[in-house]
Amino acid sequence: MSTKRLALIAMLVAQATILHYLEGLLPNPVPIPGVKLGLANIITLLALILYDFKTALNVVVLRTILGSLLNGTLFGVGFFLSFTGAMTAAAMMLLLLRVFPVLSVVGVSVAGAIAHSIGQLLMAALIISQPGIFYYLPFMLLFSIPSGIITGLLLKALLKYIEKSGGKIPGEKSRGGQSDSW
Amino acid sequence: MKKNDILLIAIIIVISLAALLVYNILGKAEQLKAVIVHDNQLIERIDLSKVEEPRTITVSGDYHNIIRVEKDRIRFEKSDCPEQICVHTGWLSKFGDIAVCMPNKTIIDIQKK
Repeated sequence: MSTKRLALIAMLVAQATILHYLEGLLPNPVPIPGVKLGLANIITLLALILYDFKTALNVVVLRTILGSLLNGTLFGVGFFLSFTGAMTAAAMMLLLLRVFPVLSVVGVSVAGAIAHSIGQLLMAALIISQPGIFYYLPFMLLFSIPSGIITGLLLKALLKYIEKSGGKIPGEKSRGGQSDSW
Repeated sequence: MKKNDILLIAIIIVISLAALLVYNILGKAEQLKAVIVHDNQLIERIDLSKVEEPRTITVSGDYHNIIRVEKDRIRFEKSDCPEQICVHTGWLSKFGDIAVCMPNKTIIDIQKK
């Protein structure tokens, strides 16, 4: 592993961990397990856009472990929920960035939030062996939309800033998400 | 935001609202039972229409939940779990209503007889 890559992953993990931790301090907006803004997902998507799946995977695994360690939920139920959710979201966003590039950054972020909800509910259903928990799905899907849009817009602002300060953003043309007015 | 993004959002809203509508239609059943399950073990099935005296049930595991049962309704009254999502869910009274305490692996849901 090159030094540059090591430093890069460390930086992304640090950012994602802090976002994960800060989010844990916010009160839950609705009484549904696992409904969150998903701020740390910004970094997952950033890693996918700027680098590759491997980098994003490193970031997801390390930040869920470190973030849960800080929150005191490591290897508890909450940890497995956010881990599965983050992994599903990363896989879904990869699919929409590389294989079916039909959505803009905001759309990919919304799809990621939706995948996060579904992955998390699957894990929850597995842990408590109760498929009835899918009752929550429509509420979680509805909530994924604003949270996905908010995180997507934040990422978009971040990408614009990176571009302005001279960074290169690969794959912009193929995705065509920057030509719009958002 | 592109057209496809809006399409995705519209599809999700339609699916979610359709599901909520189905919940609402199915929810109008009478004779409901509350089922309390902890760590995959059935704790109690309660016929909510036949509850005379309000009472509480304590479920202990990694954490402790105090469940309150009244006529036609049930809720997590107290819990020592970190997030208190189960308590904030409030009263359950319709078919399909569910409250879950993930940390303590306790579920209350309302089923038909």
